[in-house]
Amino acid sequence: MSSQTDGPTVTALDQLTTADDGFTVTVEPLPAAAAGCAACPVHSVHNAANLRKLGIDMTDWDFVVALAGNPNVGKSTVFNALTGLRQHTGNWPGKTVTRAEGGFEYGGHRYKLVDLPGTYSLLATSLDEEVARDFILFGQPDVTVVVVDATRLERNLNLVLQVLEITDRVVVALNLMDEARRHRLQIDHRRLARDLGVPVVPTEARRGKGLPELLQAISDVATGRIVTRPHRIKNEPPALKQAIATLTRQIEAAFPGLPNARWVALRLLDGDERIAEAVRLGELGDLSRGSAEERSQSVQSLSAKPEPVP
Amino acid sequence: MSQTAQLTGPLSTGGPAARPSQPAVTPDQILATARSLRWQVGSDYHQALMEAIYTEAARIADRAVTRPGEKPRFDLDRTIDRLVTSRVWGFPLMILLFTLVFWITISGANIPSQLLSNLLIGVVYPWLHRLADLIGLPWWLTGLLIDGVYLSTAWVVSVMLPPMAIFFPLFTLLEDFGYLPRVAFNLDNLFKKAGAHGKQALSLMMGFGCNAAGVVSTRIIDSPRERLIAILTNNFALCNGRWPLQILIATLFLGGLVAAPWAGLIAALSVVGVAVLGVLFSFAASWALSRTVLRGQPSTFSLELPPYRPPRVLQTIYTSLIDRTIIILGRAVMFAVPAGAVIWLTANVHVGGASIAEHLVRLLDPIGLLIGLNSVILVAYIVAIPANEIVIPTILMLTVLVTGMSDVGAGAGVLFELENTEDLMRVFQASGWTLLTAVNLMLFSLLHNPCSTTIYTIYKETGSRKWAAVGALLPLAIGFVVTFLVAQVWRLVAG
Amino acid sequence: MPDPLWALAIGAGLALLLAGLFWPERGLWPRWRRTRELTERVLTEDALKHIHKWEMKGRRPTVESLAGALQVPRDRVAQLLANMEQLGLLTSQGGDLHLTAAGRDAALHIIRAHRLWERYLADQTGYDEADWHGQAERLEHTLPPAEVDALAARLGHPTHDPHGDPIPDSAGRFVAHGGQPLTALPPDTPAQIVHIEDEPEVVYAQLVAEGLYPGMAVRLIELTPQRVRFWANGDEHVLAPLLAANISVVPKPAEAEGKQAVKAAPPAIPLSALRLGEQAEVVGISPRCRGPERRRFMDLGILPGTVVTAELVSPSGDPTAYRIRDALIALRKEQADLIHVAPRPAPAASPNGDRPTVGQEPRPEEAEAPSSP
Repeated sequence: MSSQTDGPTVTALDQLTTADDGFTVTVEPLPAAAAGCAACPVHSVHNAANLRKLGIDMTDWDFVVALAGNPNVGKSTVFNALTGLRQHTGNWPGKTVTRAEGGFEYGGHRYKLVDLPGTYSLLATSLDEEVARDFILFGQPDVTVVVVDATRLERNLNLVLQVLEITDRVVVALNLMDEARRHRLQIDHRRLARDLGVPVVPTEARRGKGLPELLQAISDVATGRIVTRPHRIKNEPPALKQAIATLTRQIEAAFPGLPNARWVALRLLDGDERIAEAVRLGELGDLSRGSAEERSQSVQSLSAKPEPVP
Repeated sequence: MSQTAQLTGPLSTGGPAARPSQPAVTPDQILATARSLRWQVGSDYHQALMEAIYTEAARIADRAVTRPGEKPRFDLDRTIDRLVTSRVWGFPLMILLFTLVFWITISGANIPSQLLSNLLIGVVYPWLHRLADLIGLPWWLTGLLIDGVYLSTAWVVSVMLPPMAIFFPLFTLLEDFGYLPRVAFNLDNLFKKAGAHGKQALSLMMGFGCNAAGVVSTRIIDSPRERLIAILTNNFALCNGRWPLQILIATLFLGGLVAAPWAGLIAALSVVGVAVLGVLFSFAASWALSRTVLRGQPSTFSLELPPYRPPRVLQTIYTSLIDRTIIILGRAVMFAVPAGAVIWLTANVHVGGASIAEHLVRLLDPIGLLIGLNSVILVAYIVAIPANEIVIPTILMLTVLVTGMSDVGAGAGVLFELENTEDLMRVFQASGWTLLTAVNLMLFSLLHNPCSTTIYTIYKETGSRKWAAVGALLPLAIGFVVTFLVAQVWRLVAG
Repeated sequence: MPDPLWALAIGAGLALLLAGLFWPERGLWPRWRRTRELTERVLTEDALKHIHKWEMKGRRPTVESLAGALQVPRDRVAQLLANMEQLGLLTSQGGDLHLTAAGRDAALHIIRAHRLWERYLADQTGYDEADWHGQAERLEHTLPPAEVDALAARLGHPTHDPHGDPIPDSAGRFVAHGGQPLTALPPDTPAQIVHIEDEPEVVYAQLVAEGLYPGMAVRLIELTPQRVRFWANGDEHVLAPLLAANISVVPKPAEAEGKQAVKAAPPAIPLSALRLGEQAEVVGISPRCRGPERRRFMDLGILPGTVVTAELVSPSGDPTAYRIRDALIALRKEQADLIHVAPRPAPAASPNGDRPTVGQEPRPEEAEAPSSP
C-alpha cells in the first residue's frame, strides 16, 4: 500500500498502467461453500470506536460497508436491493440527505450497509461531501462500494479516483448497464478493473441483475480474499508533485502505516482544517494503528487462502 | 505591499521539509511544512488537482468504453427534452400535467375522506363513548380523552390522509420519471427574478399538498440561501388542509352574492384567486428576503437534468406512502393529540364563572375587530395551531359556546361540522359575521403562521430556532397587515 | 368600532416609526450603533494600519496623511498619537512616525482580521464585492485573536485575500506577492496579475470595472507615457499609467507550463455566448467566480480542456442546459458568463439562430470529426 505512494515517480502514463499496475484481481466467484465460512476468523478493519462517534453501532455486525456514488446513479436502488429496505429513491441529483443504514447477511457474515450522500467529489466543499468523506476516512469501512453510472463513466470515475486515494478496500458497482446498452455503449469492465486496481461488477440494480456478483465481491474484499491495488493519481503538475511528495514523506514518518498519507498531504495543501485537526489531535494515529493490525491480520489469513497473483 | 517579505516564515530557512530522513516528525512540524508549502503551490492548487484527477478519469474511461457503430438516430431523451422545454409546448404541457394531478387528487380524495370520517367519527366515536360509560369513566376524563384527544385526531386523519395518499405518489411518479427537474428548468427565470431557485417551483407545488412536505422537499435545493427562501415562503402555498375552509366560506358568502347559476363559478374563482395570491406573496416574500435578511447567505445555482427513467409504479406508490405520507401524518397526529386536549380544556375549564375560551374571546375582541375578523376566529387559530383541518370545527364549536345557541353543536369542547348550509349561516350570523369577515377569513387562512407540524419541520430542516421563528412569524405579520388594511379600506368604502 | 381612517393613520405612523428606527444604514438604530463603534480604540487601530501600510510602501506617514485617512481633525490626530506613544505603539522623532514592535504586531493582527474577513465574505457568503471592504473595516476591530484564528482555521488558513494581498499568519508572518507594477513589465512577457491595490477606492473601482482580477494572465502590448495597452485573458485593455501602476504582476515562465501558455492564446468568449448546438472547449473559470461556486463548477467537471455543448434553452429564456462530460447541466446566464470557452469548429453551422429544430440537431459525439461537406 505505502509502496504505491513512495515508489519511483513514473512520468510516462502508459508505463504506469501496464507495468506498475499489472495487477490481476478479477472477480472470480468462489464456490458458495467456501464463501460460507462462518468459522473463519473475522478480521474486519473498520474503526469501531470512530464509527460509534459517527453514529454507527457495530455490535452484532461483522463488517461495515459504505455505499458512495455520484448523485442520481441509482445508489439508493442498489442500497434497497442489497438490504431489502424500501428507502425512497428519486430521480434527483442528491436525494440521500440523511444517511440511511441497513444490513444483510452473506456467506455467514453480517454486513452493515451505510448509504452515504450522493456527491460529485470528496473535497469537502459541501456538508454532504464532508459527511461522506469523514465516514470513509475515519470510519475506515471494511469495504466502500462506489456506485457508478455506466453511461457517464468519466464523470463518475472522478469520484472513484478520489475514493481510491482514501481507501484501498473498494468495489466499483458499474450500475445502469441497461441504459449503457440503450445508448450503444460497450464497457470493458475487466479492463476498468485492471486500470483501477479494484473489483468492478456490472449491475442493473433496478432489475436485480449483477447483485449476487456484487455481494461476492464485497465479501471477497471484506474478508481479505481479494487484496486490491488501487490506482493512485500521478499526473499532477511537477510543482505540485514536489510539494505532495515532501509532505507525504513527513506524514509517513509521523504516522507509519497510515494507508492514505498521500491523500492527507493533498488535503493539507488545500488547507483542509478537519484534516489538519486530525493530524494535530493524533486521530490519524488511530487510523494507522488500525491499519497496521489489519495488515498483519490479512497477511496471516491470506496465507491460508487463495492468494491473488501479484 | 512592499516587494520583500517583512518577516519570513519557514520558507526561507528551508523548513523541516528539507530533512525527510528525520526520525520522528511531530504533528506540528507537519502542519508547519504544509503551511509553508501552501505559499509555494499557490492559490490555483485546487484547480490543478481537479484537472489532474479529471484527466486521469477521462483517460481510464476512454480505455474502457467503446462506442461501436452509430449512435441510434432516434434519441428518446433528447426528443422528450425538446418537447417539454419547447417554447411552444413547454408551459401548456406543464400546466396540463399539474392540473391533472390536482384534479385527480381533489376528485379522488372525496370518497375515501367521507368513508374515513364516517368510520372514525360516525362509528368509532359513539362506540368509544359507550365504552367509557360502560367502564364508568368520570365525565371529565371521557371529555378530555374522547371528545378532546380522539375526536380532533380522527378529524385530522380523515381530512388529511386521503388527499396526501393520492397527491404524493402522483407527484413522486413525475419525479422518478425525471420530469420535475425540467419544470424547475422551465420556471427558473421567473424564480431567479425573485432571488430564488427554480426548484422552488416544486417545493411550492408540494406545499399545495402539505406545507410540511413542501418544506422537506426543499432538500433538493443545494444552495443555502435559495433553500432557506424556499423553506420560509412555502407556507404561502395554500395547503390541502386549508382548501375546505376556503371552499366553504367562498360558497356560503361569495357565492351567495350572485344569482344561483353563477354561485359555484364565483366561489371556485375566488378560491383559485386566493391560491394565486398566495403564489404572488411567495414571490414577493422571496424577493424581499433575498435582498434583506438573507443577503449574506451563500448562493450557488446548479441544476442537473437527469436522464429519463421509466418509473416503477408500484414501488413508487409504496415508498412515497411510507416516506412522505406516513411520516407527515405521524407528525400531524403527534401535534393533534395535545391540541385536542387543549381545545377541550379551554372550553371546559372555568375560571371566575366563564371558560378559558370565553375569557380569551373577550380578550382578543379589540384585535379581531381591528383586522376585520372576530375574536372567535383568532382563538380558533390559536388553539388549532397543530392542523388547519380543525379550524372550521373549532370555530363552530367556539361560536356556539360563546353565543349560547342550544339547538346546534355537540357540547363544550366537542368539535362538530354541519352539513346543512342554512344551519351554518345561522351560526355565523348569530355571531355577527359579515362579508368582510368572510373575505378576511379567507385571507387570514392563507396568510397566517404555518401549522405546528410545519413549524417543527422548518426547525428540523434548518436546525435553527431563529429560522423556525421567522418562518412562523413572517406570514403572520403579513396576514395582520393585509387583513388590517382590507378591513379599514372596506369600512371606508362601505361607510 | 375604531374609525378606519384613524386606524389607518395610526398604522401608517407606526410603520413609518419602525422604518425610521430600523431602516438599514440610515435608520436611527444603525446610526447609533455606528457612532458607538467609532471609539478611541478604533481610531488607534486605524492609525496603526495606516502607518504600517505607508511604511510598507516606503512612504512617510504624517499627521496630515493620518487626518485624511481617519477623517478626523488634525488636533485630534495629535492627541491620538500622543496616546499611542504612551502605550508604546509608536515613536515619533521630529515628526517621523515609526511603529514599535508591539505596534507592528497590533497592526498585523488588524490586517490579518481584515483580510481574513474579506476572504470569508468572498468565499462563504453571498455578499457583493462592494460590501466586503466596508464590512471588514468594521469587523476588524471587534474580532478577538481567538476568533480570528478560528476563522482562519475554518477557511482553511487562506494565504491571500480576494484582492491578492497576503494574509499574515497568527505569528504575523507572511510572504509578499513579490509582484512588480504592470508598468515595469517588459512588453510581450507573459505574466500573471498577483495583486490589485484596493486603495484609493476610486482607482480600485475602475480596475474592477475593467474586469481585472488577481490570477488573470496578462501580456503588455504597448507602454507610452499616455497609455498602457495590454492583453488580459484574451481582451485588450487600455489604461492610464497611473492606474496600471496599481496592478502588480509576476512574469510567468512560459517553458515549464507550456500548456498554460498555449491556453492563454485562443480568443476566449464567455460560455453564455455559445449558441444552441455549438460546441466549445473550456479555457478557464473567471477569477471573479470564487468559493463554493468555483469548486462546484470544478466538481461538475468544468475545467480547462473540457468540451461543452449548449443543448437546451429554457422556454423562459434563461438557464441554458449544457452537455458537460455526458451530463446535462443547467447554468444561469450569470454563471455561464464566468466560464471562458474557445469555440470549436462548429460541426454544422446552427441553421436557425437560437432555437433548434426537433430532431435535426447534430449530436456532440459526431462533432468530433468535422465533416463539413
